[in-house]
Order: sequence, then C-alpha cells, then structure tokens
Amino acid sequence: MSLYEIRDLGIMIGDNRLVEGVDLDVRAGECTAIIGASGSGKSLTCLTPFGLTPGRFSGQVLLDGRDLANAAAAQLREARSQLAGFVFQQPLTALTPHLTVGAQLHEATTQAGGPRPSRSELARQLERVGLSRADERLDQFPHRLSGGERQRVMIAAAIAHDPKLLIADEPTSALDATLRREIMNLLDRLRAEQGLGLLLVSHDLAAVADHANQLVVMDKGRVVERGPAASLIAEPQEDVTRELIAAIPDLNEPPPRLPPVGDRQLVAEALTVSFPRPGWRRGTIQALVDADFEVGEGEALAIVGGSGSGKSTLGRAIAGIGPVTAGTIRWKGEELPERRGRSQRMRKLVQPVFQDPVASLDPQWTVADIIAEPLGFLRPDMLPEERIEKIRDLLGKVGLSEDQAERFPASLSGGQAQRVAIARALAADPDMLVLDEATSALDPLIGSGILQLLGELRDSNRLSILFITHDIAAARRLCHRVIVLDEGWIVECGDMETVITDPQSAVTRKLVAAS
Amino acid sequence: MLALVARRLLTAIPTLLGIILVSFVLMKLAPGGPFDGERPLAPETRAALQSAYGLDRPIWEQAWIYVSRLVQGDFGPSLVYRDFTVTELVAQGLPVSLTLGGLAVILAMLVGVSLGLLAAIRAGQATDKAIMMLATVATALPTFVTGPALALFLGLWLGLLLVSGRGDGVAWLIMPVTALALPVAGAIAKLTRAGLASVLKQDHIRTARARGLPESRILLRHGLRPSLVPVASYLGPAAAGLLTGAVVVETVFGLPGLGRYFVQGALNRDYPLVLGVVTIYAALIILFNLFADLIYGWLDPRMRES
Repeated sequence: MSLYEIRDLGIMIGDNRLVEGVDLDVRAGECTAIIGASGSGKSLTCLTPFGLTPGRFSGQVLLDGRDLANAAAAQLREARSQLAGFVFQQPLTALTPHLTVGAQLHEATTQAGGPRPSRSELARQLERVGLSRADERLDQFPHRLSGGERQRVMIAAAIAHDPKLLIADEPTSALDATLRREIMNLLDRLRAEQGLGLLLVSHDLAAVADHANQLVVMDKGRVVERGPAASLIAEPQEDVTRELIAAIPDLNEPPPRLPPVGDRQLVAEALTVSFPRPGWRRGTIQALVDADFEVGEGEALAIVGGSGSGKSTLGRAIAGIGPVTAGTIRWKGEELPERRGRSQRMRKLVQPVFQDPVASLDPQWTVADIIAEPLGFLRPDMLPEERIEKIRDLLGKVGLSEDQAERFPASLSGGQAQRVAIARALAADPDMLVLDEATSALDPLIGSGILQLLGELRDSNRLSILFITHDIAAARRLCHRVIVLDEGWIVECGDMETVITDPQSAVTRKLVAAS
Repeated sequence: MLALVARRLLTAIPTLLGIILVSFVLMKLAPGGPFDGERPLAPETRAALQSAYGLDRPIWEQAWIYVSRLVQGDFGPSLVYRDFTVTELVAQGLPVSLTLGGLAVILAMLVGVSLGLLAAIRAGQATDKAIMMLATVATALPTFVTGPALALFLGLWLGLLLVSGRGDGVAWLIMPVTALALPVAGAIAKLTRAGLASVLKQDHIRTARARGLPESRILLRHGLRPSLVPVASYLGPAAAGLLTGAVVVETVFGLPGLGRYFVQGALNRDYPLVLGVVTIYAALIILFNLFADLIYGWLDPRMRES
C-alpha cells in the first residue's frame, strides 16, 4: 500500500484548469520523482493538495490513510505539521528573515508536538545536512548564510520533525555538485532508516536515475509517461520525455562539434582581485589570485567552480564592471584599464549577461527601449529609423518576434527575458560576451535553447564567449576550453574534453563526477 | 550597533548647531522685537533693555554668546516672562508635552497596529473596508477639529470630562491624547495593513504555513515584524510631530505644555524662548529618528548590515 496516493487530481486556479487527471504514488521508503518543463504543473501537483497554493483541487488524495481531499482546514494543517515536510525551490527567501536559524529549527522540530529540543540537538540537525560550525549558525540570521547553506537549513527544518513524507521541489538546484550528492545520500539514508517517502521535483536527471524509484513525466498539466526511473530515463517512449531528457546537459552525450578558434583576442595576466574584509576586521579577502588565461576569436571559454570560487569576480573584472586589484587585461595587445579608464570603444568590446534575466531588466522599460539603450550611448550618430531597424534585426537574431518589442519584462517568460538581455548585450556590437550563470535560473528546455543560440552567435558573429557556470555539462555544449576555479585560484585549465576525461585536480574530479 | 549610536550622536551636534543658527538668523530677520508693546517705550529705556540683554551687539556675536551658554546648559532668560529663565519654562512645559506625546504615540501604536492587523486578516471583507475607511477619516481630520469636537461631546454635552485645564487625577489626559493619537493611529493602521499584505505574499510565510503552524502564529511571529518596517520609518518623524502638533491640542484644551510657550514666544519675539524650544524639538526629532533606525535593525536584521 502506498504512503501517499493521488488519483485523478485536477487543479484549478480561478477559471483555468492547470492540472488534470494526475495519478501518483509514493511508497514508504521510496522516492517518486516528477520531471517536466516549467509550467507543466509539477509544483502545483506537489503543493496544492496541502493547501499551499491558491489553487483548488479535485480527485482523491490519501496520505497515510488520511483523506486530504475532504479535509477541513484544521485537519489539513495537522497533516502538514505532523506527516509532511516541505523543501521549496527558492532558498534565498524561504526562511523568515528576522528569526535566527536556531529559532526556526526549534519551531520545525516542535511543529508536530514533539519535546523541546536542546541546543546540541539542534546543532546536530545542522551537522546532519553537512553544515560546519553548526553551533555558531544557530544564532545567525538567514541573510548571513549563502544560498546553499540556507537550502541546507531548509532541508534540516523539513526533516526535523521526522515526517513520513518529504515533498522537495528542486531541493538541490541551488547547491553545488558535491553537496547535491551529499544531500541526496542523506535523504536515501532517511528513507532506508525511517521509511521516509520522498516526492521529488528535479531537473537533475543523473540524481533522479540514481535515487528515484518511480518517475513521472508531466507536460501541460498531464502525466505523459511513468515508470521505473532508471529504465524510463534510459529508454523514454514519448517525444516529450525524449526532448526533455535531451535538453538536460549530460556528460555522457557525444561532444559537440566546435568550429576552429581564431586569433588570440583577450589575454589576462596575473589578474588579482581582493576585497577588504567586511566589518571591523583588518585585511583583505582574495577573491581571485594570479589568474592567467586567454580567449581567441570565436572561442568559448568556460569558467567553472563551486559557489565562492571567484568565478563571478573574474567575469566582472573582464567585463569592466568589477574591480581589478592587480594584473593586466589586454585586448589584441592593447591594455584595458578598469571601467572608468575605458574609452567608449573599449567598453563596447565586452558585454555582460547576468543570471536572473527578469531582475536584470528594468521593469518600467519596454523591450525596445532596453535593447536600444546601449545604442544611444555608443552610437549617438544613429538615425531613429536605423535604430528601429537595428532593434528588429537584434530581436530576430535572438529568436524573438518583432511584436515583442513593445512588451514589458514582467510579461516575458524567463527564457524570453534572457534573450532580451542577450540582444541588449549584442546591441553594442561587442566582440565578446561574458555570461554569468546565464542558463542556471532557466528550466533545462529553455536553457538548452539559450545554449544553442549562444553557439550560433559564436559561429556566425565569431563572438568570443566567457561562460561562467557551476554546471560543467552545460558548459561542454558550448565551450572549447575550460578553467576550473577554487577559492580564487585556477586549479585546472585546458581543453574541455581532456579535462572531462582526465581531470587532474580533486575539485575538477568532484565537479565531473557530479554532472 | 554601539558604533552606529555613537556615530549618529556625533553627527547630531553639527546638525543641531546648524538648526540653531538658521533659526537664529530667521528670527532676527522677522520684523518687530521683544520690547514692542502697545505703548512705545522711551528711547533710553529701550536702549538700556537692549544692552542689558545684549541685543545691541552684532548678530554673529549674539549667536556666539547664545551657543556658548547653551553648551553649559543655559538657555538664557525669557524676554517676555521676565521673572523666569527659559530653562525654567521648559522644565514646566516639557513634562506636560512629553506625557501627551508619549501617551499619544503608545495609543496610536496599539490602536493602529491592531486595527491594521485585523484589516489584513480580513482583507477584502467588510471589516477591512470599514477599518480602512475609518483610518482615512482619522488621518484626514485635523486636531483642531477633533479636539473641539471631543470637548463638545464628552465635556459639554455628556459632562464627563473637563473641557479645559488639568484638574485632579489623569482624566484630563483622555481628550488631548485621543485627539493627538487619532490621525497617527489612522496612518499606522494603513501602513500596517499594506505592509502585512505584502509580507504575507512572501515565500517565508509559505514555509511557515507548510510547517502547519496556526494562522495566528504565522501572522504574529513570521509576518508582523517585517511588516512594521514602514510603520517605524513613519513613526520617527511622526513621534516628533506629535510633540509639535501638540501646539494646537495644548491651546484647545488650555494645557501648559511646551507648544504654547513656542507660539507665545514666537508672537512676542521672545528670542531665547523660541530658540530654546526649537533646540529641544530638533534634538527630539534627531533622537526619534535614531530610535527608528535602531528599531529597523530589530524588525529586519538584514538592515543592520548597511
């Protein structure tokens, strides 16, 4: 018998039927995973039966013998507090900002009416999810923790009251590869030891294949395919599933064909960036130390590393939007100073694209205004008709239709917004793009579309690309070479295929193993 | 935290000095003087008075003398209430004003926050609409309307309270404090409701809900504190405003607070009295804004960083 059983689930928000006819089972001690494109109804399916979305649902939902479909609000609340635990997707905002980690963990532990935990018990819960200096962290507020650390607190809180069912919506997307594995192993252990049932939403196919028993593939609010996880991923029957699996970067896929690299364009020598320590303490933090590298014309160079490895700092230094403490950056032999010293001509050489596409576009501006802004500054001589023509041309290049020019960022999807951000970067006619986690916030289907677009730009415009990411499999689809960063140092640098097949450093081995 | 307080108190000194000097100059620019009465004084008497109070000296010298006395805690003599120093007048008036203002702030907070909370819980329902309408009315009515109206109803018609003056006990506080607190309570209710409505949409509330906590606990423990940030930023200046706003209320109810001295001092060109009151108001405003900043840090620890 199943621990959690959903039959013929339908979900309405307002008058829109968003999920229909979903059947789902989670057995005690097992893991059922849901995959699907964004908007396929995965999160709604997980959360609506517990009253955690504005949606209304119909159908049959049984959790440990209790009927959630006909439960009153108080019974539903009891089911949440005693039987289920939840991990949400956004680790940065999911914790209450004004309560300490310890207070929130305390609340989570006692939510099912358990005894008051001692301080050392709370600390042990944090250690269980791999947080060091656990005792100290109990007194910290969430904003002092990194995204990965907060997500681990979330996970610790979700399992603190020993729930029977854990519902985890992309619990590990915000974590780097090593941690992802540790968390999945911890959840495996809880399943084996305590009979915890796990309902997992994930884009991490490798993890799903390794850890999930059952896999459900959703598309447009319906289940399109289901079956044992490993065999379904190996041999998908439906087109939707095949597309989805093909979109998710995987190191086992054949290497892409990349065109040859042209002349050397960008050379960085002994690039060093340090920041003063925050607060009263003296000294500096070395974010990037003595980085030497070069990028050729039409070449894509991947910068990979865990969080805090200095990869964004490197990208910002090259794009001229971050500080440089020492070292030189040359473009075709000519030295590029820091941003203020860069001439107009130098500024247009390198253009950045950021991680969160919607947040990096001004919500008050239309798409056309956003794309045209660099033109106004860098090409003041352009006539209005020429500018309109240019905007149309850029929209076409990034695969958007012309009628999107007058829309506002809020009405764009994540993928469309990222395309606008790329069009804005291209408007300056740059020779190089710096992309900082440009596909990480997007779902795999959309992310792989962006990767494809970047590949086309690299080839047709002979653009150089600096692709910053923690996902080495995604980088492999685009990049000729790779630099691996760890705590500000370049620990490995070389041809992408060589590095993947024969990693030299421990950090790289971990990154490769986790992809 | 301590560093912040120390830094803010240090920067308060030049700010205060600036305020004093500007008011000093503005006051001297205004026509008339403290000794202009219905009957003009004999020129000799006038000159003697002027020189006795140092008013015949150049303006920068007068300012310098005033500031250097102020540093020693001496607000100077009152030019109109000849038997009193400004320090004595302030010592009489300030406790009355602080009591009125302080009680009004507390009352406004209690009423405003609880009504705002209630409106947010019942968002969109009749209770919410009624509370918000009341709040708008309360904010819109000036104290010189509510004050006399209260006096009329409670004092004259019902005969429950004294219309003017203090009498015995604490009953005299009811009407002036209510009149003072009303508009502030209305504003706080609106700010609380708006703040809570936006906080309740945030992700951490969903986390709390997922924990199966009772709705009341979610509101009070996870929702209320961050939603009071706009209230705190409003309350800093508003608390100081309650003391200045007390001018009207003190006049309406015939109470011997600081506000009355302020108005009379200004009308009579009683330079030291006006300056003394301005200095105290300015210091209070600076102090309340500092409080507000400290409260921010408690309401939302993220604000302690910057």
